[in-house]
Amino acid sequence: MRRHRGDRIIVAMTLLLLFAGLIIIYAIGPMRANFLNATYGGDISENHFFIRQLINVILSIVAFVIAYKIPYEKMRKWGKWVLILGIVLSAGLWVLAKVGSGLAKCELGACRWINIGSFGSLQPAEFLKLGLLMYLAQLAASRKAEGSINKSDFWLPAGVASIVSLFFVIVVQKDLGTGVVLIAIILGTIFASGVELKRFALVLGAILIAGVGVIVTSPHRVERVKTFFNGDGADTYHIENAMIAIGTGGLTGVGVGNSVQATGYLPESINDSVFAVMGETFGFLGLGLVVMIFVILLTRVMRVAELADGMEQRLMAVGVFSWIMVQMSVNVMAMTGLIPLTGITLPLLSYGGTSMMFVTVALGITFQLSCYTKREKEMKQAKFSNSHLKKRRLNEDSRSRRR
Amino acid sequence: MNDKRLKFLKIMLYAAVGVILIRLFVIQIIQKNDWVAKAEAQHTMQNTIKAKRGEIYMMDGSEPVAIVMNEQVYTIVVDPMTVDEEELKRVIFTDDLKDNLIVEMSDVTEDRSRRYMIVAKNVSREQAKKIEEADPTGVWLKGMTKRVYPEGSLGARLLGFVNEDGEGQYGVEGSLDKELSGKDGMLKTVADVNHVALSIGNDNVKIPAEDGKNVVLNVDRNIQSNVEKILARKMEEFGKDQASALVMDPRNGKVLAMVNLPGYNPADYGKVDGAEVYVNRVTSDPYEPASVCKGFTFATGIDLGVLNAQTTFYNNGYEIVDGWQIRNSTYGRSDLLGTRTIQDAFNWSLNTGSMFALRAIGGDPTQINEKGRKTLYDYFVNHFGLGQETGIELFEARGLINDPVEGDGRDSMYANMTFGQNLMVTMIQVASGYASLINGGEYYTPTIVKGYMDEGVLIEKEAAGPVRRAVKEETSAQMREMLWGTRASQRLYGIDRDGYYIGGKTGTAQVIRDGAYSMDEWVATYVGFGGRAGEMPQYLVMVRIWKDGETTGAEQYAMPVFNDISNYLIDYLKIKPGA
Repeated sequence: MRRHRGDRIIVAMTLLLLFAGLIIIYAIGPMRANFLNATYGGDISENHFFIRQLINVILSIVAFVIAYKIPYEKMRKWGKWVLILGIVLSAGLWVLAKVGSGLAKCELGACRWINIGSFGSLQPAEFLKLGLLMYLAQLAASRKAEGSINKSDFWLPAGVASIVSLFFVIVVQKDLGTGVVLIAIILGTIFASGVELKRFALVLGAILIAGVGVIVTSPHRVERVKTFFNGDGADTYHIENAMIAIGTGGLTGVGVGNSVQATGYLPESINDSVFAVMGETFGFLGLGLVVMIFVILLTRVMRVAELADGMEQRLMAVGVFSWIMVQMSVNVMAMTGLIPLTGITLPLLSYGGTSMMFVTVALGITFQLSCYTKREKEMKQAKFSNSHLKKRRLNEDSRSRRR
Repeated sequence: MNDKRLKFLKIMLYAAVGVILIRLFVIQIIQKNDWVAKAEAQHTMQNTIKAKRGEIYMMDGSEPVAIVMNEQVYTIVVDPMTVDEEELKRVIFTDDLKDNLIVEMSDVTEDRSRRYMIVAKNVSREQAKKIEEADPTGVWLKGMTKRVYPEGSLGARLLGFVNEDGEGQYGVEGSLDKELSGKDGMLKTVADVNHVALSIGNDNVKIPAEDGKNVVLNVDRNIQSNVEKILARKMEEFGKDQASALVMDPRNGKVLAMVNLPGYNPADYGKVDGAEVYVNRVTSDPYEPASVCKGFTFATGIDLGVLNAQTTFYNNGYEIVDGWQIRNSTYGRSDLLGTRTIQDAFNWSLNTGSMFALRAIGGDPTQINEKGRKTLYDYFVNHFGLGQETGIELFEARGLINDPVEGDGRDSMYANMTFGQNLMVTMIQVASGYASLINGGEYYTPTIVKGYMDEGVLIEKEAAGPVRRAVKEETSAQMREMLWGTRASQRLYGIDRDGYYIGGKTGTAQVIRDGAYSMDEWVATYVGFGGRAGEMPQYLVMVRIWKDGETTGAEQYAMPVFNDISNYLIDYLKIKPGA
């Protein structure tokens, strides 16, 4: 397949979201710094969070460009290794946490980050998301081609990789939010690979049963679910304050820099709760716009899948779609009180480097893949008229000759 | 087949986004006001801007001096969750602050989940400054003002005190609480989660505090102080435990001293045996002042033209009214029986004389009648202001003058009233009435407030003129003479100096015990005036002294107190002797 111009809407939407996130961090970063200083007696400068986020955004754009530039044919070979790196890092983190090393960064009994000095911290789960996505896409595509997609040739390695990843994320790191995103990636890729629906339903059922088991066996999760339905506890405070922020925004918002909820009332104002602060700042119109940007971005990603030239490319795009859609929805639905809090970031908008960078890498790959899609017209016309197709090919030939 | 599955995924996206948008619409558009109300309740911080309580001044001659002042003190509050133990030990739990601390170090550290705890009170400005410089974490200072009394207990029962809640109690602090306390202001701001005011939004409201007025009293601190000393000395000398005294200028009703003993320390007002010691008896404790009221009775007769000092009557030593035998206190002295003048009746305090006067007022020499009772009531109440609040700027009791017509035994009641029993009046009422008897006949509302200090300058209140004419000028002149004569007749010890015109009247009251007048429990009263011979009196002094369960005679106990005060006033007011 010949390379053509990529889908620039993907780039535009990605940049728009990154930019919107920057504005919000610029406005509320000083409040966050002030709050942390006053509460914990720190000495964080006013621009600390904005400058960091600016660096994160720049690095993420660089990552996007790199993922776009490196030919997918080359990159696909690294997929397995990214997954293995993710598993190794997760296992390492587990060990570090067990021995109480300072390299393991833990919050409220959950060790999800590896400290890497002045660069901040690294979240192995992000490697797992990207690695598992690439690995499953390749595996499913090749098994599909071999015709063994419904056989253990596919199910065994896919199952092992998925279960190991989920084990580390959900059981070890106690990160149900990221677990849900991983499951979305797994289910999305498998679903789109064309497995028998019967088998897919079995997988879905198994995951649901396992999910209930995971919640019931963990007192911390039972508590979270309970407080969500009872309306008390720290999570309730968090959700209530997120909804106060969103509600006060009204139709048009209170304006940039006028958020009061971000001055310390709303926990995680710059990270997980950034959607709520955006609601207070920009109102219903602003949030509507943000959600619509996500919708446009995701439809374009899905379009890459629809027009993909090969199964692997198609599954890559579907995985990215599932990833971003579920992460966005879970975050936003938690902020609006629709589902319990899980503690995941809003893709591209929340403060923080690792999460943002992996999402832009995924989008960078998608953008690259959009350069190798079939033409939409081609797809439709192929069904109806061969003569048109011939004509089209002629045109294309003449165009390429002109180049 | 695969396209269908992709479409399904897209539909899932649209469904999720649809749910989200509907939810956002509900929260942001439909429920907006509810969330705004919740936000306001959470964000708005309302602080009171404390008005400064006004200070109280007395006069020192012609200069106002502060008697009740404010001092800035601090309360130390800690946040047990964030404090540093070492720092606390070094800065707060020190020997320097041990008198102020109200908790132990261990009380702070035993439960560190708390966020607010008061650890010390009444910390001085210097100590607070040291703490501020050390700036320990989780410690803050709350400033507040405290009353201080540079003159100690001087005038305690006149001034009152301020309680823990900042409310004025008793005395000037109580009655002028509104003026002294001013009006608190308010600061309403949007604050962050640590209660630091934010500049976000324009709903911030600031109403500045109106500080209380600095009240300047007519009371002269030297007179107040010396009258207190004289009273205390005499109480000790006589073995009496209760005494009150009042000094006023009869020419305008200004109160120069108002003393009640025993006193108390207003800075430590809680350490008293009972609330009785807070009461300003001069204005709030009605009693029967006895024979000093003969002055009012005779003045009424003179003013009506039915008698004068030389009018004679027959003194039988007692009279029977309504079946009651009403005797003179000099009942046993046969030398006083027979035809006597009104002046004699005043000098010897003959109750038969004042009862005669009441008959004369009624126009029937043989018996007391309704006209006499009504007229006496009118003079007592409407002319001399007895049984009425005088209008002084202090809490007052009203007392009681019984109705001249309604009720049984009015004749005997009014017979008793002619010599100051069977009625309830306060010292300030009697003194103000007496002032009108001797100052030319005009009644002035007694007043304790001279004016206000505004930035160090005394702004005097406009002087109120006389309220009414109590008696004719000639009546007043005759009363001065009679009072001078009475005092002259009793002046056994040669205590009044030459060149001064000094008069007065004793009153020894029987006290009602178990519903009857007791024969062995008396209260002594003396009211008198003084000044340069040939001029209008410059001061009026009223003294009341007693001890529960004892006979305290006025001539023996109250008059000597007056004598000392009178002599002191002549010196202090630099009154030159006249011809």
